Amino acid sequence: MKTIIGFEIHEQIATKTKLYCDSPTDYRDAAPNTNVCEVCTGMPGSKPHPVNQEAIDAAVEIALMLDCEIVKDPIYIQRKHYDYPDLPSGYQRTSLPIGKNGSLGGIGIWEVHLEEDPGKYEPKSGKVDYNRSGVPLVEIVTAPDITNPEDGRRFLRELVKVLQYTGKVKTEGGTMRTDTNISLEGGARVEIKNINSVKGAYKALKFEITRQKNLRKRGHAVKRETRAFVEAQMITKAMRTKEEADDYRYIPDPDIPPLLITDSKIAEIKSKMPETPQMKEKRFASEYGIKLGDANVLASELELANAFEKVAKEVEADHAARWIVRDLKRVLEYNSLTFKGSSITTEQLVELFNMIKSHEITVKTGQKVIEMLAERPHSPRKIVEELGLGKIKEDHVVEEAVKDALAENQKAVDDYTRGNPGALNYVVGQVMRKTKGRADPSTVLKMLKEQIK
Amino acid sequence: MQGSNGAVERVLRYLEAVKNDNPNINAIVDIDEAGVLDAAASVDKQTSSDRAGSLAGTVFTIKSNINVKGLRASCASETLKNYVAGYDATVISRLRDAGALIIGTANMDEFACGSSGETSCFGPTKNPAAPDRVPGGSSSGSVASVAAGFCDASLGSDTGGSIRNPASHCGVAAIKPTYGCVSRYGLIDLAMSLDQIGPIAKDTVTLAEVLGVIAGHDPRDATSIKNGGASSYSKNLNDDLSGLKVGVAQEFEPLTDPKIMDVINKKIELLEELGAEIKGVTLPHLGNALPTYYLTMFVEFFSATRKFDGRRYGKRIEAVCGREVLRRIEIGRYISQKEFSGRYYKKALQFRSLIKKELLNALKDVDVIVGPTVPKLPHRTGETIDDPLTMYAYDVLTVPANLAGIPAGVTPAGKVDGVPVGLQIQGKPLGEQTILNAMHALESANGGRR
Repeated sequence: MKTIIGFEIHEQIATKTKLYCDSPTDYRDAAPNTNVCEVCTGMPGSKPHPVNQEAIDAAVEIALMLDCEIVKDPIYIQRKHYDYPDLPSGYQRTSLPIGKNGSLGGIGIWEVHLEEDPGKYEPKSGKVDYNRSGVPLVEIVTAPDITNPEDGRRFLRELVKVLQYTGKVKTEGGTMRTDTNISLEGGARVEIKNINSVKGAYKALKFEITRQKNLRKRGHAVKRETRAFVEAQMITKAMRTKEEADDYRYIPDPDIPPLLITDSKIAEIKSKMPETPQMKEKRFASEYGIKLGDANVLASELELANAFEKVAKEVEADHAARWIVRDLKRVLEYNSLTFKGSSITTEQLVELFNMIKSHEITVKTGQKVIEMLAERPHSPRKIVEELGLGKIKEDHVVEEAVKDALAENQKAVDDYTRGNPGALNYVVGQVMRKTKGRADPSTVLKMLKEQIK
Repeated sequence: MQGSNGAVERVLRYLEAVKNDNPNINAIVDIDEAGVLDAAASVDKQTSSDRAGSLAGTVFTIKSNINVKGLRASCASETLKNYVAGYDATVISRLRDAGALIIGTANMDEFACGSSGETSCFGPTKNPAAPDRVPGGSSSGSVASVAAGFCDASLGSDTGGSIRNPASHCGVAAIKPTYGCVSRYGLIDLAMSLDQIGPIAKDTVTLAEVLGVIAGHDPRDATSIKNGGASSYSKNLNDDLSGLKVGVAQEFEPLTDPKIMDVINKKIELLEELGAEIKGVTLPHLGNALPTYYLTMFVEFFSATRKFDGRRYGKRIEAVCGREVLRRIEIGRYISQKEFSGRYYKKALQFRSLIKKELLNALKDVDVIVGPTVPKLPHRTGETIDDPLTMYAYDVLTVPANLAGIPAGVTPAGKVDGVPVGLQIQGKPLGEQTILNAMHALESANGGRR
């Protein structure tokens, strides 16, 4: 049974001030209702200031990154009326499409437009915090081109990457909200709201497909309705049916003249826009001769990709790629850091990768140092010196460790002499442990072979 | 102002008049005695140190739908009866900066929904110039406070004639500026695409002075015109009308009470005597202006009132408002439904651009179009008009200027049965100076005022 899935994704644009007034957009750390004014609280008589230009430019850039055509006709801001405590004026302002007919990874993008975030309502206390009211949002609407939850998840991950590449969206987690439309072939369309993460979208789709299939198996029709995703239980719950659907009574907002996006504006934005992650991946693979999978990891964050290119100017590219993809990325993920969010510099990486390449330190030591870079802003060479991690230069220290290891692992030695060459690797590992990774493994192997002879 | 306590003395005289006559006229809702005396004292201080603004000591009332910090912006409604403005509208900060003194807030039709001054939750306003007649509306208190001598000038708002209609009925000078010429920031909405704040005064010089202070670009209002509105209207007043091309539309006469038309025609003759050239123009779509106006306004008013949901301002508007406000909200709610999309609001927008084109075309051949302001006399107090369409018909000659966004002034033209009648002068976009010149020339020809 064919599954048809489409997304409407909302992400906050990272401007300093709100979409229609000068109030700051910080609503996470500020005390409730402190970053507000008469405009974003909808006080009687207040009027929207002209639309925040920075937000318009960000929406245009995002639309271009998603390969959209930019709308050249006047773009009206509409009033979408509905009654909810978090909406100070009883309507939300939402623009008509700014970009149309784009695509990302084979999935069609129907449109990209601007919206304003409402305030935050706490049903339990009945309180509303308007600090978030008026924060600019970009909404991205996909074509129903997605056919399974896995592809849906892959698409959302790619999209997050593109959005972060622009540097124009909020990067703290939890600001992305996704509405999902899903139907099984021949069945009614169901909309799922309240999805706040890529993982949530995946779980909601999985649940919903099972629910709809089961309904059909039992001979029931799937109703056209809106459902809410309940994250704690990973299920969806009915919100309202089509008959109860709101009529938003859209009208063009008389307070705001339509937006006009000029060719010169588009050219200006294009000239400053980063390459998309997908383009970068392909270029890295061909230009640096590295694996596409590694290129994908390098391109996962713009700052990381830029760092790679800088390092690759001074260190062999595949050596640098291997160390960044395998080791640096592991350390960043372990510490839940982005490269941008870490204090690691390209100078540190160049020095470290060169020390490894010239066998000044062992691979093991290299891995240890890279872990420390996340916490220490020092040069790798200094870290190695301070902690005494340099390669053991005195042969007798290594010889001692080799002798000990041989004595303690007679069984492995026997296996080796009986014709199992792999058994010796185990003994090498034991020597490395005794020398805390500071012995050169090739020297150790040579010594072991000599001793066993 | 002359003398070192000129402003305070002036305010005291006005306060005296208000105390004596306002209980009868009901033009002012809240009198800010302490505030206005304070402000007058500081104006007097500045006058003696020679730092006076261009409106130093000029005493104002402000329509109750304009935010004046610290005073109630009630819209003469139960809904906002207890709403005290937390900020100044842009026009108010500009008035204050120029040394103007605000004596109080003016009565009005509830949420500016009315053409008679009768729908206020504070009770109706009386017409100081014709005590047995309604003053017109919706800026009833603003106009009546000027006509009754409670102040020098007032600010009102005009969505479909709300400044010009009462100005005509009460015999004072007023102007609705070009849409976007005066900031709407701080004006509580009736219909956002039509609303415009404008001044009311006893004479054109004061009117021009006030307009010069409140006009001009406001970065806080997205519909405010850049480079629109001069500050020098009063300085540039010019009575020489020779060569002024004055248009008269043939469509005015059949719609208008013949006695009113007589008064208007005399003024048109006077304009000709003063050197103006009279030309016929035609406005075939004038008959569509009323439905176009009302459909647009109903939908925008419905949208504008959604914030009065009972959560923030005490009472839900539909639960406490008067019949006219409720009628407008409910029609707006009905015709903006998705199933009618394209049938009402969008059609009205199409007709609106047609009417605008027609007026702007007519104004290519002439500098101004003159005619009656209201086609009939205001009804008598106590005489209730139940049919809304009869009430709406008062607006047929004033709504086109709002639909087209053009400026329109009103100057007293004479009286019919003892009731004042105003001449309406509509001009080109940002043609306020030309309108004010014509108003001033007519005033001067009458030997000063009226």
